[in-house]
Amino acid sequence: MSKILIGRYVPGNSLVYKMDPRGKLLATIFFILIIFLANNPLTYAIVTVFSFIAVAATGLRAKVFWDGVRPLVWLIFFTSLLQLFFTVGGKVYWQWAIFAVTSYGIENAIYIFIRFTVIILISTVMTVTTMPLEIADAMEWLLTPLKLIKVPVDKIALVMSIALRFVPTLFDETVKIMNAQRSRGADFNNGGLITRAKAITPLLVPLFINSLETAVDLSTAMESRGYRDDNGRTRYRVLQWSKFDLLDLGYFAILIALLVIFRTH
Amino acid sequence: MATENIIKIKNVTFTYPDTKQPAIDNISFNIKRGTWTAIIGHNGSGKSTIIRLINGLLVPDNPEEASIEVDGFELNNDSVWDIRNKVGIVFQNPDNQFVGATVADDVAFGLENRGVPREEMLKIVPEAINAVGMADYTNSEPSSLSGGQKQRVAIAGIIAIKPKIIILDEATSMLDPEGRNKILQIVHQMKKEYGLTVISITHDIDEASLADQVIVMNDGKLIDQGSSSEIFSQTTLLKKLGLDVPFFEQVKDMLLERNINIPKTVNSEKELINFLCQLNSNK
Repeated sequence: MSKILIGRYVPGNSLVYKMDPRGKLLATIFFILIIFLANNPLTYAIVTVFSFIAVAATGLRAKVFWDGVRPLVWLIFFTSLLQLFFTVGGKVYWQWAIFAVTSYGIENAIYIFIRFTVIILISTVMTVTTMPLEIADAMEWLLTPLKLIKVPVDKIALVMSIALRFVPTLFDETVKIMNAQRSRGADFNNGGLITRAKAITPLLVPLFINSLETAVDLSTAMESRGYRDDNGRTRYRVLQWSKFDLLDLGYFAILIALLVIFRTH
Repeated sequence: MATENIIKIKNVTFTYPDTKQPAIDNISFNIKRGTWTAIIGHNGSGKSTIIRLINGLLVPDNPEEASIEVDGFELNNDSVWDIRNKVGIVFQNPDNQFVGATVADDVAFGLENRGVPREEMLKIVPEAINAVGMADYTNSEPSSLSGGQKQRVAIAGIIAIKPKIIILDEATSMLDPEGRNKILQIVHQMKKEYGLTVISITHDIDEASLADQVIVMNDGKLIDQGSSSEIFSQTTLLKKLGLDVPFFEQVKDMLLERNINIPKTVNSEKELINFLCQLNSNK
């Protein structure tokens, strides 16, 4: 459970790990946008090859990526099937009532399948090679322009980093409360949905009270350590661009160029 | 300008909102520079409240008569941040004071708040982490540390801002004996190295008996103040207040009850052992 909550970072040491989280975040966002440039077999093939090279560059086992795709497998298949049976146009191979398999349908189904899979693969590349904290830092950087319209980006960033830091603490707390209640006869694993939901309620109340107490303690500690609302804080942890980020962003720039050249106009 | 008394508290009264009984009832005391002071008292006696008043987290009911002076600065709205630079507090719960995502981030938190340039932080942070013996854990996340290790990180965070006073607010009460001894040992070492003044709020009577000075509190009042031997020899008073008495004082009391004459100069476990060993040989 804690794994799901705090992301799926897998420690490693390959090229992709050396890249700046900001670059990876930007590249992932751009990738999701530019994939819509692909509109013929060649461009889809290019996208696929580029994605698999990115996956290979992480140096991680294929299982890590399969774990990323697996929860969405049914969604991908269902969407592809919808495309397959409901797209009209082109040569008709098979027809029954409102269902029809056409050449356009087959093509679209394959495209959707590729699009889905590569988006998941590329975002998995980012989440397994970047620590949640780094992703939070990168998001803060992306939000920086909002400072101009008085959005308290620094505070949001501090909130994000404290939230991430307290996930394992609250998780430990939950396990402790569960064990305490189990030892007094509570049962969290049996019964129907409603019974189980009811068993969770006495868990949430102490957890909620504990987290409020933690928040009060934490704010006292922060204040006595000199935290105040004013700006003028400096940063210990900073992100630094390196030559690896040129590689990262250059790689996706080439992808864009290829897609623009080879797509059907 | 080094005043002899680093903390001067005069006529301070404080009442929490929605309560009638003041948590602190007209208290005055001084703390000498460079000493170790223990504040003892049962739960709710006002021990923790008094330190929150010292660094301005709470404000006395009677600002006109009350005065709190820290290292020559009178506590007021303008000086509160200067005073917080001079006072570092280690709180009770190791988890609830760990702000940073990693050990290094947490040690840097106080420096970031004070706007210390990053180049300086890069020097100060590892030094402070080294000083508490946590160098191997610089990039560890708090969830992988023990309670004692988290408290050591908290001390490092305080050392980093170079304070004059370090306050332990029951900082060792949630630790196992080993963790507790390690923390006390580190604080002793820091006190010597940086010439700190230490105030420790504690339930642990053995910890308190190591202090130069002990302050006893009960129901928001200061009951007694003196050297640890002066305080702990008043066993009846301590028992009346529901406080523990160090083991050797208990032994001494019981021996006195049995008409064994123990001189007033016997004021520590070691002295008592020596005295008892020689007791029969002298006859």
